[in-house]
Amino acid sequence: MQRLPLSYIKPGMKTYEEVIDANGRVLCGKGVELTEEHIKRFEELGVTFITVEGNPVPLPWEKSLEVELAELEERFKGITDENLLEIKKSLEEFLKEKYLESEIQEIFKKY
Amino acid sequence: MNLDIYEKSKIVKKKLRRLEGLPTLPPIVQRLNKLIENEETSFSQIAELIEKDQVITSKILRLANSAFYGFPKKISTVQNALVLLGVNIIKVLIITSSIFEIIYKEDVSLWEHSIGVATCARILAEKLEIKEPQEIATAGLLHDLGKIVEKVSFKVEYKKMEELVQEGKTSLLAEKEIFGLDHAEMGAFLMKIWNLPDRLIEAVGAHHELEKAKNFKKESALIHLANILIHARGYGNSLYKKVPSLDQNALKILNFNLSETKEIFLILEPKLYELKFFTEELKKDIKITL
Repeated sequence: MQRLPLSYIKPGMKTYEEVIDANGRVLCGKGVELTEEHIKRFEELGVTFITVEGNPVPLPWEKSLEVELAELEERFKGITDENLLEIKKSLEEFLKEKYLESEIQEIFKKY
Repeated sequence: MNLDIYEKSKIVKKKLRRLEGLPTLPPIVQRLNKLIENEETSFSQIAELIEKDQVITSKILRLANSAFYGFPKKISTVQNALVLLGVNIIKVLIITSSIFEIIYKEDVSLWEHSIGVATCARILAEKLEIKEPQEIATAGLLHDLGKIVEKVSFKVEYKKMEELVQEGKTSLLAEKEIFGLDHAEMGAFLMKIWNLPDRLIEAVGAHHELEKAKNFKKESALIHLANILIHARGYGNSLYKKVPSLDQNALKILNFNLSETKEIFLILEPKLYELKFFTEELKKDIKITL
C-alpha cells in the first residue's frame, strides 16, 4: 500500500481503498485499475491523494520489512510491560500484512 | 554551583517569562490577542487582520489543509479556517509556524514526531468520540514544545541533559535535574503565557504524568497514548528512540481496548504518507528561502 499525491498516479495502478472527493462522494471503488480518464476526473474534482495497491513508486524513506521489524525490536528493547508488548504485537501483525500485500502485487505483475 | 531543583525551575521560568532567547512570536499574535479580548470582534475582523500578512496567511492555510486535521474540503481562506477550526487553533497555527520553522531546520525528526502525534491524536479522538478532535490534534502538535525550547534556548544545558540520557537516565529525570522542570511542564508554562486554552495546556502538561490532569483527563490520556503509538510506529523521533512507558490509567480513562490498536495503525498509515510528502515539500521551500 502507498498513499501518493495525485501527480504520482499513473494509469494501471490499482486503488487500495475507495477514492473520495471533498464532499464525501465515492468516485472510485477499491481494487479498481486506474485509467487516464479516472486520473483526469480526480484532477477536476480536486482530489489530492490516492491510496494504491503495492509499492509502485520507490520512495526514499520507505524501508524493507526486515528493517522495519529490526527497528521495531530496537524501540521495544528491554520493555516488559504487557500493554506495550500488546501494542508491539499488533504493529508486527500490521507491518507483516502491509508488506505481504505488496509482495503479492509484485507476483501478480510478473504473470 | 549546585542549585536545587526548585531554584533551577525558578531561573528557567524567569527566562521563559521574559522570552529571552526564545524564538520571537510574530507581532500579529499580540494584536490577535487584543482583538479576541473584545467579545464583539467578528471572524471577518480577525481574518482581515491575519490576511494583511501574506506570509502568515499562506502558512496557516498550508497547516490547516495538512493531514493532521484531516478535513476533506480544501480550506482556501482565513475566514474559512476560522469558522472550521476556531480562533484558538488559528492562534496556535501562527505560533507553530514561527516556532517550527526553526525546529525543522534543526531537527526534522522532532517535527515529524509532533505532526505524527497530532494526526494520531485526531484519529483516536474521532474514534473515541471525544469532542473537537481538531483541537486535540493541536495539543498533539504542541506536546513537545518544551523540547524545542530546551534545544533552541538552552543549548548548553541541553547538551548536559543529553549526556545524562546517554549515561542511562530517563529523559524526564534528566530534564528535571538540569532544568528543574521537564519538557511537558515547560511547554504548558509557555502556553499559559501565550493565553492558549486550558484544555490544550493541561493535555500538554500532563502527557507524561496523567495524575496532573484535573479537568481534562481524557485529553491528557489521549495525547499520552498517541505519543506512545507514534513512538511505537517509529515515525519521526524525539530525544529517545525507546517507546515511553504507558500509564494503564490512560486506557481506563479513554475506555480504550488495546485490541483496537491494529485498526488505529491501519487508519494512521496512509496519513503518515501524506505527512511525509508534506514535510518533504516544506523542506524544499525552506531550502529556497535560505
